[in-house]
Amino acid sequence: MIPATLDGHLLVSGALFALGLLGVLLRRNTLVVFMCLELVLVASTVALVAFSRYNGILDGNVFVFFILTVAAAEVAVGLAIIVALFRRRQTVQVDELNSLRN
Amino acid sequence: MSPALLASGVLLAPLAAAAVIAFGLRRAPGAATAVALLAAVLVAVGSLVLALGPARDFTASVELLRLGTFGLSLGLKFDDLAALLLAIVGIVGLCVHVFSVGYMREDPDRARYFGGLAIFMFSMLGIVFADSLLMLFIFWELVGFSSWLLINHHFQRTPAAEASKKAFIVNRVGDFGFLLGLVWCQAQFGTTQLDALAKAVDGGAVVAAGLPLLLFCGAVGKSAQLPLHVWLPDAMEGPTPVSALIHAATMVAAGIYLLCRIHFLMVPAALEVILWTGTITALYAALCAVTQRDIKKVLAYSTLSQLGYMVAAFGLGSLKVAHGDHHHLIAAGVGAAMFHLTTHAFFKALLFLGAGSVIHACHHEQDIFKMGGLARRLPVTFTTFTIGVLSLIGMPGLAGFFSKDAILYLAWAKHPGVFAVLALTAVLTAFYMVRLWRITFLGAARGEGAEHAHEGGPALTGPLILLAVLSVIGGYGWFYSGLLGGRFDGVIDSVVHPAGADHTLILLTSVAVLVAGALGAWLLYPAAGEDAVARRAPRLFGLLGGLQASFDRAYGAYVAKVQQRLAMLLNFLEQIFLAGLIVRGLAGVVGLLGLGARALHVGNANAYAYWFLLGLLALWAFAAGLLSF
Amino acid sequence: MGELTFNLLAWFTLLSAAGVVINRNAVNAALCLLLCLTGVAGLFVVLEAYLLAFVLLLVYAGAVVALFLFIVMLLDTSGAPRALPRRLPLIARVLAGGLIASGVLSFSARAKLPVSEAVAAAPGIGGALKPYAYQLFTTYLLPVQILGFLLLAAMIGVIVLSKKFEGLEDVK
Repeated sequence: MIPATLDGHLLVSGALFALGLLGVLLRRNTLVVFMCLELVLVASTVALVAFSRYNGILDGNVFVFFILTVAAAEVAVGLAIIVALFRRRQTVQVDELNSLRN
Repeated sequence: MSPALLASGVLLAPLAAAAVIAFGLRRAPGAATAVALLAAVLVAVGSLVLALGPARDFTASVELLRLGTFGLSLGLKFDDLAALLLAIVGIVGLCVHVFSVGYMREDPDRARYFGGLAIFMFSMLGIVFADSLLMLFIFWELVGFSSWLLINHHFQRTPAAEASKKAFIVNRVGDFGFLLGLVWCQAQFGTTQLDALAKAVDGGAVVAAGLPLLLFCGAVGKSAQLPLHVWLPDAMEGPTPVSALIHAATMVAAGIYLLCRIHFLMVPAALEVILWTGTITALYAALCAVTQRDIKKVLAYSTLSQLGYMVAAFGLGSLKVAHGDHHHLIAAGVGAAMFHLTTHAFFKALLFLGAGSVIHACHHEQDIFKMGGLARRLPVTFTTFTIGVLSLIGMPGLAGFFSKDAILYLAWAKHPGVFAVLALTAVLTAFYMVRLWRITFLGAARGEGAEHAHEGGPALTGPLILLAVLSVIGGYGWFYSGLLGGRFDGVIDSVVHPAGADHTLILLTSVAVLVAGALGAWLLYPAAGEDAVARRAPRLFGLLGGLQASFDRAYGAYVAKVQQRLAMLLNFLEQIFLAGLIVRGLAGVVGLLGLGARALHVGNANAYAYWFLLGLLALWAFAAGLLSF
Repeated sequence: MGELTFNLLAWFTLLSAAGVVINRNAVNAALCLLLCLTGVAGLFVVLEAYLLAFVLLLVYAGAVVALFLFIVMLLDTSGAPRALPRRLPLIARVLAGGLIASGVLSFSARAKLPVSEAVAAAPGIGGALKPYAYQLFTTYLLPVQILGFLLLAAMIGVIVLSKKFEGLEDVK
């Protein structure tokens, strides 16, 4: 049972962040890694909105707006890169994208 | 022209000449000769103007380096002592330069020779003018270098090359002690400026005996005292004018000059050591000289002996002289040493140049037993050489008599034991010099060269005549106070002349030793082709001859057994620790770090994500206050 | 009521996030992401930021996840072989998981943040559009403009990246 206070919301945000980070570390499919990155971003938005609510100001909310925009742009460009990479290397497994090795 | 400017000009003229010769005139011996001669004339004229002029105690200095409180500056200190030595260097230098023009006429390398002479003049003048021990040390080393350069003139000959190396290395050993003393001086007094040091000691600073003794080490090396005397006989491998200038008149005198410069630092214990060093050197060298065959070697040992006299005179220290009813403390040791240095410069340079004339005439024959009959064939050389010999052995009326008397009187007044040894040495001096004189000049011509000997040109005889004149009049009081206008009174007044009963005693002693030695030599040595003593008393002869080689043998054994082994051990240690562990070890560590860093660049994005996590953890720790910068 | 709703939504979000991480199939992961975002939108509603909830659903769930699904299906990753996990990464994974878990747990271990009761009790102000828009176009006007440029750059970048560069041989 998570208490519905600021700390509770922050706990949810933290857990989301942790899950996203775990996914970034553990998954080998680049696309899934990307999705987990989105989880991380979403976690930060939750934290921002929680702070904004419990302090009675609007700035957090506005900032979430920006985060959403940036995330969208980032996803677009990132996926374009992945597609270009896939055309070249025929794979999106992270550990096979290692031509910079040594 | 201000005196400081003139002094700087005198100092730098030979340097300029050397630079011109080194950079332009190596292949033009005639031009090089002219340039060097011009510089020598300038130096002689300038030094006489300065020395005989009224200017004294002007100072000028230029600061070269400043590190915090330590400053290195080159400056001039010009008092009567410096003036005296300056005059000597100027006159003798000029004589040697003129002589070299004639002597080295057939030598193809004379440009290098004159360049070396010029550098030497510069270095020696630097020592004369030095106002601090550090500056003196710098020029000290330069003089050693010039000496090496000049002894090494015929470097194609192995003995010459070896001798020059030996001279330099032995000097270096002495200079190590000098350097230690210098550092001690700087540490204790915070300065090496001579004036400042004198003031500090006057003000009551306590000087340990070690300090002057360490500084004396430099003099031991440069003035060839026991045990660092071994280089001087070997240094005769250089051309004879070089021996005259460097190893008779000026460079070896630099050690005495140093001692006189630091006389205020002396303490009785140090003076005792100095005294005995000088005395033993004098006796030892005289004993060695008796058995020599080479004319230059005899003169070399004679120089050693006379230097021993000077050092012993210095070591005798000051004298309390009664003036009316109160007593004066006079630095009699300094006075006597410098006086003898002056007269010795004149007659020893004369003797060496005379020997050079003889060698030149006999077509580079140096063995006295192959000479003879030169009295008729080389009249000027014979006359001047005779004057030189008489002056050296202390014939009354000549310069050497007065200076030697001063030393003997001082010894009599302060230390009768030393007096006895010095008197014995005087006997030996007369003995071997008359031996040399007789065998070289008298009798019948015994060798090829001697038969065809003829006088060299005016370039060779002119300097001989000048030096002969100086050897005659250079001891008289009226020469210094009258002719030279009393310019050197600061030094000459320190010479104490015996008075009354002592005067008679010393006079009698001098004459007695002179007669004993001369008569002994005259009777023992006919002007024959082989050494009479060798024939009659071979064991004694062998013993005396062995004296000379004993030091060389000892040094050789030390170097081979002790020093080489230590060097190999150090080499071994260095290979392991320095080259191996530290140098290659450090390189290895860096290489390992590089390998480790390279391993991070795996190109695996997953790995980079892990690094990201690590950074995140660091940030979190920082935010939580666990990690702080 | 608030607490129960919050808990439902929170656990729903967390579980679907776990699904994203764990699911082997990329499509499944994308759909789990969708569910997660829905849950987050619900959380926003609980926090009385209604506008943001809608925007999230529109932009994120609607556009971004859709894009993800398109790309996943475009790149045929079904043939990816299931390689055995190597030793080291396994250790690294365990370690990473432990670290992250401890990080999360530390949230509850630290002191509570000071929150004034009065403000907490007051109704949230995130719902009304007018003050929101006002803020956006006055205080935060500059970031909005910059974001415009950012989107422009992203668009151009995407177009350039997805072009097939044929005939490069004559461009020497």
